[in-house]
Amino acid sequence: MKWFSGLLLLISVFLWQLLSWLGILPPYRIPSPLGILKGLSTLLVDGLPPGYLLHRHALESLLRVFYGFGIASALAIPLGIVMGWSKIIRAILTPFVEIVRPVPPLAWIPLAILWFGIGIKSAAFIIFLGAFFPILLNTISGVLMLDVRLIEATKVLGARETDILLKVLAPGALPSLWTGLRIGLGIGWMTVVAAEFTGVKSGYGLGYLIMIARDIQRPDQIVGGMIVIGFIGYFLDSILRRIESRLLEWM
Amino acid sequence: MEPLLRLINIRKTFNSVKDQKVEAVDEISLEVWEGEFLCILGRSGCGKTTLLRMIAGLEPPTGGEIFLENQLIRGTDPNVGLIFQEFVLLPWRTVLGNIEFGLEVMGVDQAQRRRKAMEYIKIIELEGFEHQYPKELSGGMKQRVAIARAIICNPKILLMDEPFAALDAQTRFNMQKFLLSLWEKTGKTIFFVTHNVDEAVFLGQRLILLS
Amino acid sequence: MNLKRAKSLFMASAVLLMILTPLLGNPCAMQKVRLGYLQSDLHQLAAFVALEKGFFQQEGVQITIGGIFKAGPEEMTAFASRELDVGYVGEAPATVAVANKVADVKIVAQVNLEGSAIVVRKESGIRSLQDLAGKTAAVPGYAQVQDFLLRKALLQNTIPSRSVNVIIIKPPEMIPTLQTKQIDAFVAWEPYPAKAITKGIGEVLMYSGEIWPRHPCCVVVVDTQFLGKHPDVVRGLLRAHVKATHFIKGNFEEASKIGTKYTGMDLETVKLAMKSIVYEYVPDEEGLLEYVTFLNKLGTIKVEDPGEFVKRIIDVTHLHRVLKE
Repeated sequence: MKWFSGLLLLISVFLWQLLSWLGILPPYRIPSPLGILKGLSTLLVDGLPPGYLLHRHALESLLRVFYGFGIASALAIPLGIVMGWSKIIRAILTPFVEIVRPVPPLAWIPLAILWFGIGIKSAAFIIFLGAFFPILLNTISGVLMLDVRLIEATKVLGARETDILLKVLAPGALPSLWTGLRIGLGIGWMTVVAAEFTGVKSGYGLGYLIMIARDIQRPDQIVGGMIVIGFIGYFLDSILRRIESRLLEWM
Repeated sequence: MEPLLRLINIRKTFNSVKDQKVEAVDEISLEVWEGEFLCILGRSGCGKTTLLRMIAGLEPPTGGEIFLENQLIRGTDPNVGLIFQEFVLLPWRTVLGNIEFGLEVMGVDQAQRRRKAMEYIKIIELEGFEHQYPKELSGGMKQRVAIARAIICNPKILLMDEPFAALDAQTRFNMQKFLLSLWEKTGKTIFFVTHNVDEAVFLGQRLILLS
Repeated sequence: MNLKRAKSLFMASAVLLMILTPLLGNPCAMQKVRLGYLQSDLHQLAAFVALEKGFFQQEGVQITIGGIFKAGPEEMTAFASRELDVGYVGEAPATVAVANKVADVKIVAQVNLEGSAIVVRKESGIRSLQDLAGKTAAVPGYAQVQDFLLRKALLQNTIPSRSVNVIIIKPPEMIPTLQTKQIDAFVAWEPYPAKAITKGIGEVLMYSGEIWPRHPCCVVVVDTQFLGKHPDVVRGLLRAHVKATHFIKGNFEEASKIGTKYTGMDLETVKLAMKSIVYEYVPDEEGLLEYVTFLNKLGTIKVEDPGEFVKRIIDVTHLHRVLKE
């Protein structure tokens, strides 16, 4: 059946191109598929601005995401396990979490620029804010949902608190935690693109690229950039999914 | 000779939803002798699970004391092993990983752990299943892993909370035979709780009725 | 319906929706004139004056604000989606939009000349353009006038433009990043240079008038279809614009007060900024030609005949009629 959905997609794209040729879909409203391909190729070959090639833009954005996402995971996972385990800590920290969480990461941009400038750190900070909360909350829920008897069984076998945290809560919360990581990475990737709109020091970035294409009114390059962003986002998630199926083969 | 386990006037009271007091266990005293297979027989809901949990150290008694070899039980202790009705294996660990858990926590090095675990795999007759996950095992196999996991730590007494109630009749019968032969081979003290009269009579040296 | 079928149907509908949605956005009947202008852009003081003093109304033109934009390209996108009839906008983004066939507008009047500057951080030790080599300079947008001015200045002094790290930052972020040493210089339109001075953070290395005397900056554009349908309305607009421009020249104090109201900046900054802006309403064809040639070379636009393009986009017939009156 896979060929059927592929065929349907091809037909839709062909229809789209046809409508564009007939002038029903003017190129300034929405670029034609061929136009987008052409725009994409200029991004690859010439770069935008000329000399700034697409793969470098993508690499810079990925770097920012890994930085921010890495820190978010490193902080949120242990904090989530501890908050899931200890009622007291959960009670103390939850108000802070619930106040900061609803604030969109992008609202932090002016502060981020003030604190961190326009280099990789401020973008990483914005991404951190976006990725942190899904990972934290999913980890907490993963711990809370664990069967109490699992903990009792290990206690009876002599497990101390550290043993429980490391050998029971962490692996037990993993399914929920991993979902949190996937969501966090997705949000992180979306955030980096928007965060780059305000300007980057290195002159590279996919969000930055789209901003430039917007400045020179090239919708074909804008959509080309969007497609690249979409693909990379999908690719990142598929990596996480692959790892997930290996890690969670016991389920 | 001193009894291995002594319960003196053990009481457990719970606060129910409407803030009423529920007497789950009411003034129980008993003794368990080393090496014996003791069965506690009682209807469902008569407090036998609560009793077991108190001996395992998972619940503090509201009144009374429990002594293991004249030491007061204050919490969980690897000297007291516990087998649950629902097996409660760690699903993310293999059979070997589950069996080794207690030794891991005790700090035994990996080579020794592995050796001992393989011995017990033989005892529970699960050769070939070392690297399977619990989800791939039948109920009887899971319970055997749970038993191996418990006795590899050499507890002084093994508590069993209706361990075969979740199994089908045939498997249950096989498991009862297996448990008996294990008891004969190892001489472990077993404290077995059930609501099944036939099972209690078949397995136990001594029977205590709980009402 | 099994999952696979559902998935392919969903994908097809998604693509279909993507195709159809642009077709759905269409304007309804035009009653008032929808005007757009740039936020905090002191170049467009004539628009603020005309709005404040009611010049548009006096000429019988009903104005609604179609949008206040952060940058030229955004305003041009609004023209592309037919949300604006008239706009005060940078000549650069307007030119690019028309050349890339994104919007269809005509330039009917100039709004100002000059009014930008290269600003460097105080105590940065940058005394001349040569000192910019190896440093980081920010411009508000790729291929915009400020970007062009910087390149032109470097070219005039035979400094290779590659030796300066040029990045794009939006003007509101330029002053904080200059202050925190993230960038060493920026090129922006007034009042940002003036603000950098009054805040004590920066000083002007060069005014744009020194790089390119009397270079065009902002213009009044009109949607071509609207111009065709309502030339009389456009003429009324132009009358108000000319009046406002004269007003600025003759009433500095009052004009600067209006400037503070619309840009939100303090009076000292506004007055300083106004000194470097030349308010003018006659479009400069030569200036535009030079800029179009620059864009062509850069590859940002592809125009066969720059001269012909300039003649096509500038329509001064209406302005001339108004001036003759």
